[in-house]
Amino acid sequence: YCYLKIWIFHGFYAEEDLVGNLASMSTSERIKAIQKMPETMKKKREIRNKVLKEITKKSRHHGSQLSCTQCLQGTAVSFRRFGNSLSEYFHLLRFWHRALKMIGAKFGTSVLSYFIFLKWLLTFNIFSFLINFSFITIPQFVVAEPNKLSFMGLELLTGAGYFQQTVLYYGFYTNATITKIKNGPSYNMQLAYIFTVGLYFVICFLILLFSMAKSFCRNFINLQTYSGNASKLLCTWDFNITNEKAVKLKQKNLSTQIKEDLTEVNREVVHFSVKERAVRIVIHLVSWIASLGTAVAACAGVYFLSINNLKLFVKGHKNDLESQAAMLVLPFVASLLNTFIPFFYSWLGHLERYQTPGHHIYVTIARNIILKISIVGILCYYWVNIVATSESQCWETLVGQDIYRLVLVNFIFCLLGSFFGEFLRRIIGTTFCVSLGLPEFDIGRNVLDLIYAQTLTWIGILFSPLLPGIQTISFSIVFYVKKVSLMMNCQPPRKVWKTAQMTTSFMFLLFFPSFIGVLSVIGVTVWRLKPSEGCGPFRGLPSMYAAVAEWIKMLENHTPSKWVVWIYHNLITSVLFFFILSVLALIITYLYWQIIQGRKTMIKLLHKQIIN
Amino acid sequence: MGNKQTIFTPEQLDAYQDCTFFTRKEILRLFYRYRDLAPQLVPLDYTHKPAVTLPYELIGSMPELKDNPFRQRIAEVFSEDGDGNMTLDDFLDMFSVLSEMAPRDLKAYYAFKIYDFNNDDYICKSDLEKTVNKLTRNELTPEEVNLVCEKVIYEADVDNDGKLSLEDFQHMIIRAPDFL
Repeated sequence: YCYLKIWIFHGFYAEEDLVGNLASMSTSERIKAIQKMPETMKKKREIRNKVLKEITKKSRHHGSQLSCTQCLQGTAVSFRRFGNSLSEYFHLLRFWHRALKMIGAKFGTSVLSYFIFLKWLLTFNIFSFLINFSFITIPQFVVAEPNKLSFMGLELLTGAGYFQQTVLYYGFYTNATITKIKNGPSYNMQLAYIFTVGLYFVICFLILLFSMAKSFCRNFINLQTYSGNASKLLCTWDFNITNEKAVKLKQKNLSTQIKEDLTEVNREVVHFSVKERAVRIVIHLVSWIASLGTAVAACAGVYFLSINNLKLFVKGHKNDLESQAAMLVLPFVASLLNTFIPFFYSWLGHLERYQTPGHHIYVTIARNIILKISIVGILCYYWVNIVATSESQCWETLVGQDIYRLVLVNFIFCLLGSFFGEFLRRIIGTTFCVSLGLPEFDIGRNVLDLIYAQTLTWIGILFSPLLPGIQTISFSIVFYVKKVSLMMNCQPPRKVWKTAQMTTSFMFLLFFPSFIGVLSVIGVTVWRLKPSEGCGPFRGLPSMYAAVAEWIKMLENHTPSKWVVWIYHNLITSVLFFFILSVLALIITYLYWQIIQGRKTMIKLLHKQIIN
Repeated sequence: MGNKQTIFTPEQLDAYQDCTFFTRKEILRLFYRYRDLAPQLVPLDYTHKPAVTLPYELIGSMPELKDNPFRQRIAEVFSEDGDGNMTLDDFLDMFSVLSEMAPRDLKAYYAFKIYDFNNDDYICKSDLEKTVNKLTRNELTPEEVNLVCEKVIYEADVDNDGKLSLEDFQHMIIRAPDFL
């Protein structure tokens, strides 16, 4: 950015300075600076040649090892060429690049943000599957017991039966320390399990935190005053769009929006009479009570259904078609509630007649979030408090199976939703009821579905280590189905979505209720719950965390690892350390807040100076 | 993928890679797109730097640009002669700035030049009026266009001179995260 300014203001005389500056930078910085220059290619090439001459001149001054510097430069050039061809191969890893470009061209960046979010979630799942498979499953294969159950086709849907004795679930993993060769290197399965899962969550936490902070920084900090007309006119034209129909639609939208804005300015703020305001408040209150009531009713329904579900398992297996089908009732009902209650909420929103369409969208999304959080919350409560303390043989595998079925049925409902919501709606809109027109792609609802599916997967990682692999496949299929459905059935969005802010909100929703909730559930499971006696890597221990505690005790007798023990006792389990850390974090936050306030006053003063 | 191509010398390719955001493969692909617009005008051998210029009509007919309401301004801003007729250098330059790898302030600089119809380094009211008409396909009445332009200048003009300078424009871009 600073080179942009230098180039504009100083004109010709700074060219020598510029060349000098560029020559003194490292190669990669120099290339970046030249690429960013707002000049024609000819000018940039001239400058580049001058800079290269300057560099060779400089190196000639520094000692007379002419041949050495020349061969150094030659090797540098060939390294860069090698690096460039390597990066071309890395571009092959950017899967779906072409599909994303096509979607962006035809529908704009708001719809594209959903697909980018889907791709981002997919990378989380691929990463988890890879590390779980390498560190937990492959060693398990070495000491696997043969599977005595038979495979019937229905297992793919219910996750029970044959799959119960496979690496899919927690119960199959051994608690032994695996050694192939006598007195050779050993592999402690317990530690591997808990550390792999723990490390994955720590890495996810850091990635989410940094992405969210970066996105927030770019998109929200300067929100204050300039969301007005100027930016709407000059900054929201989506240069990404190349499709003629989409361009015409976008132009029409912009003109409609400008007309609306102008008439809003002309119309004074409508003053409601006291009676009308009271009526509006009552209507809002009633619809909130209705939506919260529906959410509570849905939770109660799910809870009682799951208690009944548990009775099926504790009574023992009957492995006939009826009991297998009965296992599917809970996920079916949960997905059904998740699909149809949002329509009820949209209908409520239409009844309420909000002042701006933006309010309507936000309130509907908030209600959907509350519904989904409550359903996941009640399921977690059921798993942690009821299944874990029941008399079943291997409660972790039961929870894993429940999550497997939920994920699978959610996936099927997602595909069906696409079929009914978009395909049939298009047919209705074009043949029977032409006034409806083509459907639009409902970004908010689809993103919430993704976050819900990802929350379930994250909860399930501890109980079913290969679940992320299944979710990877399901997300890939969802991508293709949604893309085909979008291209065939939908029209570009009519409302202007503030894309960058919505993307930040999606990430925030993923982090805050979803990931933090998952961390709490996993935390309670690892610290408080007693693992089952007969299965899994933690059998016989009082809690899953006890494996780490025992390992530390074992290390205490082993002198070279005393530092690990010291770190454990004084940093990880000590309350004082976390207290000091929190106080430090609060102090730093306060200081940064004061700096921001100071800068705000500075900006105001400078603004006044520019005007005068 | 190897060093077998004979269109450019290795030094020319290095220079292109340093001056644009593209990799070697992308530069060659863009060259073939450029050539496909007029195979009889563009030679396959650029090692001797031939001075070939393609007229604006061919550039404006590219699928990426043909529906863009600002295609003529884009071609004018990036062409050497200011009329929209582009050499290969201008062509690569244009796509480099329009690509997703270009940083926002570079795009903001060129967006300013695109919106500046009379090339006086300021976006004045007449520039804004032309912009609004292009963005809305002439669907607004002249009074509405006038109102919109006045509001935009009122909001974005920081130094109060009645027109938008590059700084005003960039100041606005920083606050509008949706800018592409």
